[in-house]
Amino acid sequence: MRSIRRKNFTVFMLPSLIALLLVLAIPLGYSLITSFFNTNLKYQGLGDFVGLSNYASVLQDEYFIESVVTTAKFTVGVVVVEFLAGLAIALLLNNIRKGRNFFFTIIIVPMMITPIAVGLIWRLLLHANLGIVNYMLSLVGISGQAWLADSSLALKTVMFIDVWQNVPYMVLVILAGLVTLPAEPYEAAAIDGASRTQSFFRLTVPMMLPTFSVVLLLRTITALKTYDLIFVLTRGGPGTSTEVISYHIYQQAFRYLEIGKASAMSYLLLLLIIPIAFLFVRISRNRTA
Amino acid sequence: MGLTYVALTLITLFFLLPLLWILRTSLITKVEAYKIPPNWMAEVTLDNYISIFTDNPFGSYFLNSFFIALVSTLISVLLGAMSSYWICRCARHNGRLKVAILVTQMIPPVVMIIPLSLVIKSLGLDDTYFALIMAYLSFNLPYVIWMLLSHFEAIPRELDDACAVDGCTHVQAYFRVVLPLVMPGIMATAVYSFIVCWNEFMFALNLTGLNTRTIPVAIASLDTQQGVMIAELCASTIVAILPVIFLTVFIKKYLVQGLTFGSVK
Amino acid sequence: MKRNRIRTAAFLLAAVMVLSLALSGCGKKSDAGGGDGKKTINILMEDVPDTACVAAHLEEFEAETGITVNIESVNYSSMHEKILTQMLSSTNAYDIIVVDCYWVGEFVTAGWIQPLDDLIESSGFDTSVYIDSMMNMVGEVDGATYMLPFYNYMLSLVYRTDVWEDEALQEGYRQATGKELTVNGTMEDYVEACKYITSVKGESLAGAVMQGLRPDPIAMEWCNYLFSCGGDFYDDNGDIVINSPEAVHALELYVDNMTNAAPSGAPGFGFDEAFNVIAQGGAASYVTYNWMLPKLQNASESSVAGLCDIAPMPGGVSLNAGWGWAIPHNAPDAELSWQFLQWVESFDVCKARALDGGSPTRSDVMSDPEVLEACPYLATVQTIMEQSKMIPIMEDAPQLIEVLGRELSEAVTGSKSAQEALDMVAQEMQEMQ
Repeated sequence: MRSIRRKNFTVFMLPSLIALLLVLAIPLGYSLITSFFNTNLKYQGLGDFVGLSNYASVLQDEYFIESVVTTAKFTVGVVVVEFLAGLAIALLLNNIRKGRNFFFTIIIVPMMITPIAVGLIWRLLLHANLGIVNYMLSLVGISGQAWLADSSLALKTVMFIDVWQNVPYMVLVILAGLVTLPAEPYEAAAIDGASRTQSFFRLTVPMMLPTFSVVLLLRTITALKTYDLIFVLTRGGPGTSTEVISYHIYQQAFRYLEIGKASAMSYLLLLLIIPIAFLFVRISRNRTA
Repeated sequence: MGLTYVALTLITLFFLLPLLWILRTSLITKVEAYKIPPNWMAEVTLDNYISIFTDNPFGSYFLNSFFIALVSTLISVLLGAMSSYWICRCARHNGRLKVAILVTQMIPPVVMIIPLSLVIKSLGLDDTYFALIMAYLSFNLPYVIWMLLSHFEAIPRELDDACAVDGCTHVQAYFRVVLPLVMPGIMATAVYSFIVCWNEFMFALNLTGLNTRTIPVAIASLDTQQGVMIAELCASTIVAILPVIFLTVFIKKYLVQGLTFGSVK
Repeated sequence: MKRNRIRTAAFLLAAVMVLSLALSGCGKKSDAGGGDGKKTINILMEDVPDTACVAAHLEEFEAETGITVNIESVNYSSMHEKILTQMLSSTNAYDIIVVDCYWVGEFVTAGWIQPLDDLIESSGFDTSVYIDSMMNMVGEVDGATYMLPFYNYMLSLVYRTDVWEDEALQEGYRQATGKELTVNGTMEDYVEACKYITSVKGESLAGAVMQGLRPDPIAMEWCNYLFSCGGDFYDDNGDIVINSPEAVHALELYVDNMTNAAPSGAPGFGFDEAFNVIAQGGAASYVTYNWMLPKLQNASESSVAGLCDIAPMPGGVSLNAGWGWAIPHNAPDAELSWQFLQWVESFDVCKARALDGGSPTRSDVMSDPEVLEACPYLATVQTIMEQSKMIPIMEDAPQLIEVLGRELSEAVTGSKSAQEALDMVAQEMQEMQ
């Protein structure tokens, strides 16, 4: 039995591990090491060992702390909205036969556009003075907004655009899960006189729980790292209203060349996500166990 | 039932209207694009499409993107699906292993790019397809492994055991019995992996040169100091969407028919 | 049983072979034009007006020398990143790069670009033909020449002549304030006039369109206000004066103009959105790159063609800016790079570029009769340039722009006062030293 396990490991797992090691070991190692040095790319070499002082100075940076709050708002907002909307749309699509193809094809198009283009195109649509959105609103008597220029609106606008782009992903994944659900339990439930709502909560949710926890977790991680959209839409402004952690990390790494501090920020972000990851893994395991 | 269609139509409009505006913008000049109120009678022109293929070798960017995204996705799905199956069926303490794989995804690419591109340059691999394909494995492979876990978990273990009784090895059981059952999941995952590679900008910017430039880098360079060439940008966005839509035809078979494996479950 | 195992093995083998074949096939470098002993020069540039002008004349160079030239253009914000990873490696994929004016200090400190003095001396290239302010900015650093000025994007005031000379508006303004409606006054006069135009014309025509996007657009635009109000980053003794009363006043004027004259979206506009507002006839003035004027005067790009002109900043001091050609420290063949630079910066090529709509840095090109006839506004540009100032050359200038952009934007949104915002900038500048 032991040898079979080992053989299976070689065939199934080893190739992936080697590939991951090849591409990830050096970047992850380099950034971990530099997080303890005052490395600046302007100067050759790693610089001096500074222990935890990068971490300390990052934690004292009030703009960084503020960006953690902004990132948390952004992440929770988009993940919740995208998940619920994606679930609703997937359920609707799963409900119909005729035209499913048609609706599905259109709905998933936004995720096929590269985020840079999404940002630039929405800047055109949301241009406060020359944009079609404000014009259409004015036709129905609603006064237009300075979507990206108003510090109380900018974060919501960025979240809205993120939702537009990423709901399709949720639809895709959840629908792929829904269609593979077995039909028998539903037939049995229908015979027992269960309502649709009842069978949704008693059958669909438990059976889909692993899929739900995985998409929520993966989407949370990508949302925490959101960078392209912010970069194109607001660059963290107006004021600091849309400054997220990844924009901070970008500034430190590519503008200030302080790769040590950027690495420290990244590892702090990592410490933040790991407990969340364990939580989700536990949820999905409880259900399978 | 009627209500479902009304709701879906409204939802679809939410996604469709901005897309239609992109299409419109791609067919007019920039001056027209910024006219408010819009000039609905603006002259339609194909110049933007012509210019992205003549001023830029958009055709070769297109092939670069396609090749890189396709190969990276194929490798990820082949290797990732097997690993996912193994983690699901054979690994002890798989919770920790899962999180370990995920941890690699939590470091923002901004920090990874500098060391990665230094390694790639020192190996003389910059401006090659190989560099970008490998770089994309760094996020594609963990993604595929994770996405497929739940699909494998949904397949009853008794099925593997039944195979074992029939004298199959694990490898055979995997390819003959389990794999076909998770095909819908694999297709959805593969399509999404492909799309992520197709749209990836950060790695592509730093690891490509003139020979391997991908579409997102080309699209980003339409944002110039002379202004955003919004009409050309919309045209190239439309062109970049088309192959991906074509690709989804493959998965639609799985999603639309709603394959249910009555015999299995 | 055995057969099955063989079949599985065969399948895996085939899969591995296909993959390795694919990988080895794509690992091969298809060197553009290279490989057969033919020389190539790779240049990394941003897509600026001059990029197309240089590209248009490349064939002449290629025919003359047999060298192939590849220009790779990327967007501005990506360029610094792309240069960075190249500079840190042992070899550079680019023979020539262009350097933005506020990267100069950083690049020189890091040793990323090589001094050109030996090449200049041995080839007898004359650098005295460049306009002094360009040479000081994207040419020499501490007495050594690192770059040749490539093109300038000095900012100044572009305005609508029909609006500022409109008699009804002038008369109304005279009655309301007792002053003349003009772009030639002080900064205070300008902001007051802009606010007046907006108050009269409302949504349809703003007195000024502005660019409040972080970090470069807002920082660059405000520098014109700063210099024209008599402020600066450092005084003559090298002390930080960014939070001086003049600077604070400049920021107060800027915020006043942004809030009360500019269109509602201005705090989020990049230069492209702002340009589109004035190009669609929605604004009476705009502080922008001098070569925006010919674009605004071009009917295929603007609906106010023929109605615009350029003037010195009210208060008189503009922000000078530009790009310089440089050879990376790790360029494969510096002599080859220099051969191209000599050609591209020769009088004939520079003149041809200027006639194509480029933006000259050589004084002999700028005052060439043929060039002046094609682009009369260059005469004004040259006089403005003589009075212009620049962002100080310092190794942390990119950081300065980033911090300045953030704090200016904070002041615009009202979450900080002008004094608080600039005090913060001064404090961070102190830490940079």
